[in-house]
Amino acid sequence: MAPVNRSSQNDGRGAKVMAAYETLVARAGRPALAPGTRVIRVCAGSTCNAMGRDKLVAALRKELAARGLADEVTVLETGCHGLCQEGPIVVVHPEGVFYPRLSPKDIAEIVETSVVGDGVVERLLYRHPETGEPVVREDDIPFYARQRRVVRELNGRINPTSIDDYLAHGGYRALASVLAGRQPEDVIAEIERSGLRGRGGAGFPTGRKWRSCRANPGEVHYVVCNGDEGDPGAFMDRAILEDNPHSVIEGMAIAAYAIGWDNTPVQGYVYVRHEYPLAVARLRTALEQARERGLLGKDILGSGFEFDIRINQGAGAFVCGESTALTASIEGQRGMPRGKHIRTVAHGLWGQPTNLNNVETYANVPWIINHGAEAFAALGTATSKGTKIFSLAGKVRNTGLVEVPMGATLREVIFGVGGGMLPGREFKAVQLGGPSGGCLPAELLDEPVDFESLTGAGAMMGSGGMIVVDDSTCMVDFARFFLRFTSEESCGKCVPCRVGTTRMLEILERISAGEASVDDVELLERLCGDVIEGSLCQLGGSAPNPVLTTLRYFRDEVMAHVVEKRCPAKVCRPLIKYVIDPEKCTGCHACFTACPVGAISGERKQPHVIDQSLCIKCDTCRQVCKFDAIPVVDAEPALTEGRSR
Amino acid sequence: MARRGRSAEPRGSALYEVIKGVDFERRELLEKPAGVGLFDLVREPDGSYRCYACTLCERTCPVDCIEIDYCPEHEELPFDVEAEKAAIAAAQPEVDRSRFDAVIARIREGSGLIEALHATQEAYGWLPRKALEDIAAEMHLPFSRVYGVASFYTQFRLEPVGRHVISVCMGTACHVAGAPLVAEAFSQALEVPVGGTSDDLAFTLQTVNCIGACALAPAVRLDDSETFGRVTPDEARRIVRRLRKREED
Repeated sequence: MAPVNRSSQNDGRGAKVMAAYETLVARAGRPALAPGTRVIRVCAGSTCNAMGRDKLVAALRKELAARGLADEVTVLETGCHGLCQEGPIVVVHPEGVFYPRLSPKDIAEIVETSVVGDGVVERLLYRHPETGEPVVREDDIPFYARQRRVVRELNGRINPTSIDDYLAHGGYRALASVLAGRQPEDVIAEIERSGLRGRGGAGFPTGRKWRSCRANPGEVHYVVCNGDEGDPGAFMDRAILEDNPHSVIEGMAIAAYAIGWDNTPVQGYVYVRHEYPLAVARLRTALEQARERGLLGKDILGSGFEFDIRINQGAGAFVCGESTALTASIEGQRGMPRGKHIRTVAHGLWGQPTNLNNVETYANVPWIINHGAEAFAALGTATSKGTKIFSLAGKVRNTGLVEVPMGATLREVIFGVGGGMLPGREFKAVQLGGPSGGCLPAELLDEPVDFESLTGAGAMMGSGGMIVVDDSTCMVDFARFFLRFTSEESCGKCVPCRVGTTRMLEILERISAGEASVDDVELLERLCGDVIEGSLCQLGGSAPNPVLTTLRYFRDEVMAHVVEKRCPAKVCRPLIKYVIDPEKCTGCHACFTACPVGAISGERKQPHVIDQSLCIKCDTCRQVCKFDAIPVVDAEPALTEGRSR
Repeated sequence: MARRGRSAEPRGSALYEVIKGVDFERRELLEKPAGVGLFDLVREPDGSYRCYACTLCERTCPVDCIEIDYCPEHEELPFDVEAEKAAIAAAQPEVDRSRFDAVIARIREGSGLIEALHATQEAYGWLPRKALEDIAAEMHLPFSRVYGVASFYTQFRLEPVGRHVISVCMGTACHVAGAPLVAEAFSQALEVPVGGTSDDLAFTLQTVNCIGACALAPAVRLDDSETFGRVTPDEARRIVRRLRKREED
């Protein structure tokens, strides 16, 4: 392809582009969620879908039709509202009454009271987690009130399958204003001033990346979006793609303009996990709509700028989140990383300069262009600007998506927005950054969440997975889980990563089985350093982090496995056993019926017993027991007593 | 996947020193003008090549100047390729060829290799050997390359799949909520190991890394259509009983 030589003068282009954009906005009409209108907003995120959203919507439409309200009241199926724990969620506007955990049988009452009338159905309202009082309006729920939404501003308020709804809320205005006459250098300078850093985990300054990509010569420049969200326990990128795919498309188009307008042709790619079918479907719809409106393709909004985006799907390889492995995968090869002495911005996809950013990074761009770099830089800390979305999950009251300014403390996120621990449970650790991150203990809860402090503490921002665990989780088992993951996902190119993680996993398995010695722990620590230094990419470079942080903050618990041969959290199977407390057992026979291996015996109304030689420790009996009569105890409790080290 | 800059401090290990050396040499190399070296393959005293085409040099070359192609003139292979192919094909069940035409059509429209493999798996539920061979021929790629890609990614199946696929999520949130016990319960109830398929091709049991339904932990997905949340081992056994009943009807 021949390089494009465009004059950098604004030859009447501005007025033409803005006119084309205003035509689109006029055609889009009013937003579905216009103030003062009767709208019932139903969350159609993945979690609410799994909890029966389709049946709920069917019941709702039927009820409205039966009352002849089908034309007056809009049922708006939006993207994820964020509070996944309470799904399926319905919000009735204009009052904004929030109804969590609905089932189809509640619909008639809600339509009667809240849609036909102005009242609220009190028994279905959300309860304040601290006071237990009912909360009527969505905005008053602490989970929402304590967040600061920038990227997720529109998520949950627009119909993700309608470009008109996005346009009606001011969507694509940033792209139009950029195409109408801002110079590429000026756009890049704006992003640099905003202080936006890559949201994929490494935190590389986005503006600087764009600048160096632009400066590198090539026949074509590629703008690639990394949606290969492989960290187990992270789902923010999925949510952005599902809830507001146009914001990502807009961000990518702005990046493409800044990199290639007066330079070379630009082609876009979005690389999405195949495990996210809904995200792929919504992105595909969004791309078709954007092309149809002339916001992608040749001559975007009459500006003469050409840009289009293709979707590439992954096929289940964690390492493909690594930039060089991702480009290899798009090229149709095994997703194996290469050394990065030549960066992707110079030599990326098909050997051409490639700008690779995360989904969330691109989704930030339109906001920055619309509100200005200064407004964005006003949020956050000195080095980390803006907000960050976390997927909060684990043993916390409110699991879901949380967006807070950078620099908020872990305590604010977990106990403020997240509502704290489940009743009767104690906070033990929070795991940040998935298999590349680490576990932080309660002492570090007041640590601010930004790139530098987390890295300093041994964890990392990662893509934003935040898993809270309580005293029922064993930290050795937890570290073993991550290491099993990375050893399975290691692509096998570098020996220290391929063999090193396997050996580390074996040691952890020995620790968890109570067969390890103190020397093993030392060896484990040494191996961590070798794997970090000897791996080409950051899969190996960060794989030992969960182990290192466990050894750093939870050494006592590790040593209990090694020296005393017991698991304090009662998780590691070789070190525990299930027994029935004869005092509490009523002989109800529930465990007898549930036991899959027939290890429990006993007459009705008589205390039962577990045959330890048959028991497989599957935990079923403890879960079905209504009387809390099956405690988990140390397999050999007498072992430690009176024994000197 | 998330990344972090590695620490600059030497760890004191011998390995670190070696890596530092390699890195230094590489930088030296890159400062030289291109085209100064001439490649030749080392031969054994009997004249045969020592190279085994392991492709390591191709993969690690910092400037991508090596390309390894297979050599069609090489006649004497140490085994009978056609017989091996026939044996593998005979071991796999027959597949309906007509479903494959759409895949070929998409390749002609310019779809990439991974897209083609996804399309094939959508058509059959797995990747039959014959289909991989046809893709290789259509895309003018060596079969080894197609097979190499298909076996690299965990989602591609090289074995026939059951009519129902049960995917137990093994994400972090699911793990701490007890997913390993759930997977084990499924495995016992179905009498199929994790990753395996029952003999009657009714069920395939697999674990997946994260389906992003962390609020429902532990989550289980059935056939990409149904998601079960907060599954206990007992619930897992009930699901299997229900599915068995559905199969019988």
